[in-house]
Amino acid sequence: MLFLQLLIDGLITGCAFGVVAVTFTVIYTTTQVFHIGHGSIYTLGGYVTWYLTEQGVPFVLALPVAVIVCAAAGALIQGQLYNRLMQRKATPLVLLIASLGAALVIENTLAAVFSPNILNFTTVWGNRTVSLAGVTLGLAQVAILVADLALFGGMVAWANYTALGKRTRAVAANDFLAEITRLEPRRVHVAVLAITSGVVAIPGSLIALDHGMYPYSGTLVVLTATIAMISGGLGNLIGGFIAAVILSVVQTVSTIFMPGEWSIAATFGLFVVLMIFKPTGLFVRATT
Amino acid sequence: MNFLLSYLIIAEIYALAAMSTNLLIGVTGIFSIAQGAIFGIGAYIVAIATLNDALPFPLAMLLAMVLCSLVNVAMALPSLRISGDYFVVTSLGMQFVLTAAFTNLTGITGGASGLPGVPPPVLFGIELDDSQSFIPLATLALVAGMICYWLVMRGPFGRLINAIREDELAVSAAGKNVLMAKVGVAALSGVYVGVAGGLYATFISFIDPSSCDIAASFLLLTMFVVGGARTLAGCLIGPALLMALPQILAVMPIPSAAAGPLRQIIYGALLIAFMLFRPQGIAGQKL
Repeated sequence: MLFLQLLIDGLITGCAFGVVAVTFTVIYTTTQVFHIGHGSIYTLGGYVTWYLTEQGVPFVLALPVAVIVCAAAGALIQGQLYNRLMQRKATPLVLLIASLGAALVIENTLAAVFSPNILNFTTVWGNRTVSLAGVTLGLAQVAILVADLALFGGMVAWANYTALGKRTRAVAANDFLAEITRLEPRRVHVAVLAITSGVVAIPGSLIALDHGMYPYSGTLVVLTATIAMISGGLGNLIGGFIAAVILSVVQTVSTIFMPGEWSIAATFGLFVVLMIFKPTGLFVRATT
Repeated sequence: MNFLLSYLIIAEIYALAAMSTNLLIGVTGIFSIAQGAIFGIGAYIVAIATLNDALPFPLAMLLAMVLCSLVNVAMALPSLRISGDYFVVTSLGMQFVLTAAFTNLTGITGGASGLPGVPPPVLFGIELDDSQSFIPLATLALVAGMICYWLVMRGPFGRLINAIREDELAVSAAGKNVLMAKVGVAALSGVYVGVAGGLYATFISFIDPSSCDIAASFLLLTMFVVGGARTLAGCLIGPALLMALPQILAVMPIPSAAAGPLRQIIYGALLIAFMLFRPQGIAGQKL
């Protein structure tokens, strides 16, 4: 029974990580930037929602505000930081360091303003539980499951069926050609960062509601998301989502066999094994 | 006077660690964000060995150098199959795993409270138990490191690893063994950071996971960025400036709870500012 409970918990958290992985994949394939700051935007979403609910704003109104704030932050980072660097033909190393800098600034601003300790939502509705077939689920968990599956479906639909989505895939496929054919890749990059950052605010807020918030959790989340992205096959949104769910299940279920602090070792160990024995799909860029 | 000497010793120790980061990231282009953890391995090994009187200080340092080299090599090996961006993920994972090891192997590492009371180094029968006696050791280590770095960079190996950063495919096509070169640079970098860690543990007489967590890796990265890539001057300037920063912050009226995050905000802002306006750092070469 514990195993089943852990399995379900892992599946649900996995859906949230899956959305982070899918959004990260869209950013990476489109802009070629390894946007580590994405994790800190996820955390930012949680804190904005928390702050507003602490001021008395109902959760359902706080969430869209968090989405807008995160979208703005993402657009700002892309427009002011990455676009400028890319115009100067910056190497991936420079972009990576800049992204780390952005992540550091955002996470630590949250820590300085809101305290570096774990914070919890005081609203109660998330804690009400529902029992299905012997497994207890918090309402927050149900919300996570439903919202994240919807977001995942939405992202896939956006990529395949909307004009902007198709334009984004074109830019991702061939940036140079996109530049010549006036698809305005720089604007697409800003739009992509805005959309993905806004989307990632939702799992950020819901997971924060369920598990509490910690300013520095974003780095670990983005690590799991990138492992999922690579394992699932770069550019493959569905593969990335499924990989994130699997990784999350491994992380939660591994607590049966080893102390919880080692669960990251389980995830990472799996990743290293994968990279050594089956890096197929990873040779998109074999050299830096 | 003692205060100035302490600052100099810490700056010298971090200069060695910065050289190690420079070798990996600046010269070869292997972006490792796990330098803090490897520094920790060096520190913990020397601390554990000297605390239990298992090894004399010189041998403990030697062990730290060897083990840090091996760990660094083990981490560099996957970088062959994966491009630079992906290696960040591997090193980030390694950093988290090692931090988890330092925090949870309480029997060996003292857990989150760390290992207090690390004895000062004993060289040739003399105990180096204050800043005045320690600084010759630190300076000697730094000078040796600088000479070694200078010699390596001037030689064929230095040219090879520089070439790998510029165009790995071309180096491979020219028939050079990229794998062996990367392994070599990882080993060398491990030696530097192991020495730095060992000196740190014996100077501060204490080591805990917070000196070698991801924040430490970010600090080393910031030192590398601010000082500048690939130059010896950069390896000295970066640590000197960034070690002065906490002292400056200490005299400013900031609540102590916000001091840690504020320092990190400054590091992040420095990283962004340098990438935007001066990627080569104060005294470095084109990144």
